[in-house]
Amino acid sequence: MTAAEKNFGQYSALMADFNGQRRVAPLLEKLSQEAAAVLPAAMASYRPDPMGVDAARPDKLFAPDYGVNLMRLGMPVDAASAFKCGVPNLNSLLCVVANDTFHSTTQLERNRMEGLTICSLNNVPAALQSKVYEVLTRSLKNSDPVSALNSLLLNDGVLIHVAAGVKVEKAIQIVNLSNPTVPLLSARRIVVMAEEGSDVKILLCDHSQTDTVEHLNVQLVDVDVAAHAHVELYDIEEATSTTRRCWQLHARQASNSHLSVNTTYLHGGITRNEYHVDVPGDYAHTELSGLAICGGEQVVDNQVTLTHTGKHCTSHQLFKNALFDCSRGGFGGKIVVGEGAVFTDASQTNRNLLAGDDARMTAAPQLEIYCDEVKCSHGATTGQLDERALFYMQTRGIPSEEARRMLTQAFMVDVIDNISFEVLRQRIHMLVEKRLAGAGASCGSCAAGCHTDESAQ
Amino acid sequence: MKQNENISNPAEDENDEVLARATSGEYKYGFSSDIDTDIIPAGLSEEVVRLISKKKHEPEWLLDFRLKAFRYWLTLTPPDWAHLRIPPIDFQAISYYAAPKAKTSPKSLDEVDPALIDTFNRLGIPIEEQKALSGMAVDAVMDSVSVKTTHRERLAELGIIFCSFSEAVREYPDLVRKYLGKVVSYRDNFYAALNSAVFSDGSFVYIPKGVRCPMELSTYFRINAAGTGQFERTLIVADDESYVSYLEGCTAPMRDENQLHAAIVEIIVEERAEVKYSTVQNWYAGDAEGRGGVYNFVTKRGLCRGDYSKLSWTQVETGSAITWKYPSCILAGEGSVGEFYSVAVTNNRQQADTGTKMIHTGSNTRSTIVSKGISAGHSENSYRGLVKVAPNAQGVRNYTQCDSLLLSDTCGAHTFPVIDVANASAVVEHEATTSKISEQQIFYCNQRGIPTEEAVALIVNGYAKEVMNKLPMEFAVEAQKLLSITLEGSVG
Repeated sequence: MTAAEKNFGQYSALMADFNGQRRVAPLLEKLSQEAAAVLPAAMASYRPDPMGVDAARPDKLFAPDYGVNLMRLGMPVDAASAFKCGVPNLNSLLCVVANDTFHSTTQLERNRMEGLTICSLNNVPAALQSKVYEVLTRSLKNSDPVSALNSLLLNDGVLIHVAAGVKVEKAIQIVNLSNPTVPLLSARRIVVMAEEGSDVKILLCDHSQTDTVEHLNVQLVDVDVAAHAHVELYDIEEATSTTRRCWQLHARQASNSHLSVNTTYLHGGITRNEYHVDVPGDYAHTELSGLAICGGEQVVDNQVTLTHTGKHCTSHQLFKNALFDCSRGGFGGKIVVGEGAVFTDASQTNRNLLAGDDARMTAAPQLEIYCDEVKCSHGATTGQLDERALFYMQTRGIPSEEARRMLTQAFMVDVIDNISFEVLRQRIHMLVEKRLAGAGASCGSCAAGCHTDESAQ
Repeated sequence: MKQNENISNPAEDENDEVLARATSGEYKYGFSSDIDTDIIPAGLSEEVVRLISKKKHEPEWLLDFRLKAFRYWLTLTPPDWAHLRIPPIDFQAISYYAAPKAKTSPKSLDEVDPALIDTFNRLGIPIEEQKALSGMAVDAVMDSVSVKTTHRERLAELGIIFCSFSEAVREYPDLVRKYLGKVVSYRDNFYAALNSAVFSDGSFVYIPKGVRCPMELSTYFRINAAGTGQFERTLIVADDESYVSYLEGCTAPMRDENQLHAAIVEIIVEERAEVKYSTVQNWYAGDAEGRGGVYNFVTKRGLCRGDYSKLSWTQVETGSAITWKYPSCILAGEGSVGEFYSVAVTNNRQQADTGTKMIHTGSNTRSTIVSKGISAGHSENSYRGLVKVAPNAQGVRNYTQCDSLLLSDTCGAHTFPVIDVANASAVVEHEATTSKISEQQIFYCNQRGIPTEEAVALIVNGYAKEVMNKLPMEFAVEAQKLLSITLEGSVG
């Protein structure tokens, strides 16, 4: 029995003891019970993914014995000092998740609008209860122990519901803060439901305030994109070396919908991002992209499963990693084109820059195709900066170090340019530049900032 | 009335006809010859392993090797990670040894069983003709025991050893002992362990230092007796600065029950030596409903041990109900080169999971992978590959291209590459595409008077040309024919 299995067993036993005593809404209690029922089978069927990076595999991530905050004890989080991401003043609809608890902000309250619901999963409006529950339980059907565990332990979470036809102008920003004092496992959840014809942009920021206490954040993002809806989801990780992140996206797209997901990894410990996107609708479009800049002993693993079952769908994937020092990168991309998914046009690109002598990259771009009327391609490269380009720049008086930085920045540009959200794109350009310059992305130098928002506390 | 129908939709009718012809076509090589075979009862145990060893008059060390492999095999379970649906195989229901009864060792063709000669003639490989015309040395292997080896004398003059495995064990035990299991250990995988325990025969090639083998060495494999497995073992050693091109062709007669084939090929390439290994595999693939057919579980691996050595694998896979095969290169020598060129065709209910591994442990090593998959009918065709660059391997270069062509809407084409790079100076590229033959292409050909069936063959041959060009001349013709036979009429 591996350590992870043992821990999973402990969590289930603990939850069974606590049955009904947690201070959570009936919705989450019901979810927890359903998860408890499927967890043993999910654990039994779990097999370590042979393609993934070892250190970021769930059986390794869950091996340390983390505590769980079942009693929902408040843990102090210093929101003001947390905004190190340097994505300030987006004038966004801001809310904060401290460890695993949802907090609203004055910024959010002031800007409440008709047709947009942003609330804790403990306060889901009665009208939405059954719909939300259906979306929450989708990932339980995958017999994946990580998503089952998240549902089992879930104390709180965020619901973003956009009613049919509503276009949300401002971006919704959710800031995750971790500041545990003991090794802690936080189960986080975000449910995004975009009803027919709606339009919404969401920015997730992941921060940690401790670089001494190892902690694991298990976050699931459930996205339901209805017909003709448009959802953009941006995720920035700017955490510490003691952060362990296990992030899963579970998305389903209806006909003519648009989903784009972009993850930016700037700092962290060990990160595993899983993207599970199902496209049963016709004429839907999916964009998945991600960039990671890793140094030290950081590990980033992106694993994508994109399933096309609808007709005439298009999808693009673009993942880029720059690996310095002895960092490790992983990419697993699977495109499944089911029978009858005719006229699917799917492409997948993974490019990696190995800049550290001991850096290592594992890539497994995969295609599984059961239909002939399709156009699918994938490409993966691992290499270095072009020596000739470096030489050219040096002959023009640019020092080698700076030339490298500029070329690395240029290497990342097309991922960043995928971000259609103008303000954010500029910010991420800036953040990447800062990151490559070796500076921590502290926003000290940033003029305005969301950190002035005191209510975040 | 019938005529009217024909006029109303000629294209459709033609397609139907073409399809019907293709699917009703019987396996060209499906016959079974009556030769006295010496078969031991089905089942596998330590006694069987001892019996095989005894029948072949093997030395003690080889028996030990077999027993170690067998004991290790007992601890294993069949691998299930491949994208294949493999019906459970009862390893106790298979006979592990079948040898044509040798009255006396044949010295010339006249002494060989006439029925056997006839079998080869029907296969289209008359030994005599090949001897005379193509100058090939054919080591014809039938049901596990090497029957006849030609051109031995000419090769012997150059110091080249080309003989059956059991003969090599008798005549050159030191060489065999030195190299056996050095590239594919008996602990490698389930089927490698099984083969190491029960291998019956195979080929052994040794090219001495500085010798360039003047002819293509060739082995034909056939599975003949019903219900017998074939456990071939090939060992090729190319010493410093030598060169050899080795051909392996497979055809098997039609059988209703599935037959197991678990072979091992080990190749050692020393300094500045080059080995070219070409395969055309056309085992019986089962009928249109997927009944019968050969299960082909093969472990092929070469070690480029010497600096600047080169190993090139070329394969054309058209047969077998299930193919599980990953010819690999371990590029250990400085500046060594590995190549893999593959065309895999699946039709009806065939399943293929094939590809390669390029393990770069030496500096400045290079590898090229070109894989072309073609799937038709209800078949499943997967490319699975690994490119691994070890931390100490500087300046490694790899280029991988794997394309899939889909010819029906019920088949599957999959790609599962893994790229693992642990050295920052490596440049590794992978690209893959999947598409179908476009209607425009077919239309264009039709317009110029080329029937649909021929147009498909034309397009597929063009698609596979990059790989076909790598085959030796003698083989390319046969391979092209096979490709056309397998695919005729499979217009999606």
